[in-house]
Amino acid sequence: MVRAALQTHGRLNRGPRKGVTIIPAASVIAFSALALLPVVAERGGWPDFGFLMLIAWRLLRADAWPAWWAAPLGFANDLLVGTPIGFSVALWTAVMLAMDLVDRRTEWRDYWIEWAMAAVLILAAEAAEWKVAAWSGAPVPFTHMLPSIIVSILAFPLFAFIASRLDRWRLGQ
Amino acid sequence: MAAPAGPRPGWSRRAQYSLFFGFIAAIAGLLVGLFMLVLSLVAPASYSAVRGAALDVTAPIRVGLSEVAATFEGLVSGAGDYWDAARQNEKLKAERTALRRHLIRAQAILQENGQLKAALNLRERSRESVAVGRIVGSSFESPRRFAVLSVGSSDGVAPGMPVRTADGLVGRVTEAGRIASRVLLVSDRSNIVPARILRTGVPVISTGRGDGTVDIRPLEVGRNPFRRGDIIVTSGTGGLYPPLVPIARVIRLDDDGALGRPMADPSQASFAMVERQFEPEALAVAASAEGDR
Repeated sequence: MVRAALQTHGRLNRGPRKGVTIIPAASVIAFSALALLPVVAERGGWPDFGFLMLIAWRLLRADAWPAWWAAPLGFANDLLVGTPIGFSVALWTAVMLAMDLVDRRTEWRDYWIEWAMAAVLILAAEAAEWKVAAWSGAPVPFTHMLPSIIVSILAFPLFAFIASRLDRWRLGQ
Repeated sequence: MAAPAGPRPGWSRRAQYSLFFGFIAAIAGLLVGLFMLVLSLVAPASYSAVRGAALDVTAPIRVGLSEVAATFEGLVSGAGDYWDAARQNEKLKAERTALRRHLIRAQAILQENGQLKAALNLRERSRESVAVGRIVGSSFESPRRFAVLSVGSSDGVAPGMPVRTADGLVGRVTEAGRIASRVLLVSDRSNIVPARILRTGVPVISTGRGDGTVDIRPLEVGRNPFRRGDIIVTSGTGGLYPPLVPIARVIRLDDDGALGRPMADPSQASFAMVERQFEPEALAVAASAEGDR
């Protein structure tokens, strides 16, 4: 009995996992790589998985990665998804900088405010994608983007959940 | 919950500096990203090497995943075929007799055509395909319509070449890596195909709408020349696409044009053929137009 009481049950001596600092960035690249799925869709109305993971991590923690990591992550996303090179680099870095400003301004943060901020970021990102598509010769009407925007906003809580579970797992809590 | 404390490093001079330089690096990243974006909008060809390399690196994953998906789909649809085999058998038999009649008529027309061409002393242009590949992916996250094909420049594929299936036109190659290439689909907003109505021969222009359909407009203003069910074929004008490849079937008329659904459905087609450009000079023109865009 004494011996049983001395057993740790796996609750003690638990620290962060190996590679704790790169797990968030690696998860963003993994979600960008979902663009490799063999889905041949007639219309593109799917959420940008990499971008959703990025903002989920950034809203969860300010120190998931240094802000400038967004540039190489965006470059990887551009190569995997096939968007014009530089689009995600600029957009994702801009999101990191904007969130730094928002963090200085906001006093209070709860579930709904986070979701609203994510919705604003998603809307801005999809509008930027729409504008860049128009500049590169494909001016689709903005209504084409609405399904993608709505699906992305509705899917955001799922990504926030994945990010928070990954965060707990990587910190070994 | 209070907002996260954010990057406030306290009194450590080292931490303050690293935060500051991280901030500078982020701004530099933003500027570099904007520069790269402008470059890829103004001169898309400047990234062809790196984008081709990215296609090549990801091609094995794409091909593997698409094979897994095809196997799974085959299992499901195979089971479905067994489910009502008797009815399908009956329908197929009826279709076969109808097709046989069509075939005989087509053979007669072919023979007559050959005789007429011989009489006119026309030289038949041989139309062989460069490579045959599988469509292993698409740009399902973006408003643009691209597909990824599992053949590349090692198979002879080059940017500008038309891609088709047995059913009709798929699009044209825009980027070619060694073992994979990216295809601009007919339904992309920026893909404009000179075409004509098969029934009447009226010249029209087909433009993608970005949602899996194409917008078809007549070249000449006047009465709406379309009828529901009309087949739109390429005209060969411009020299990029070979003539008489089916593009779309008209599904709806509007004021001065029509809405069509592409004949070749990239998600259903298991194989796509890359063909040589119809007029070789057109490729150079298209390449320079790509560079200008």
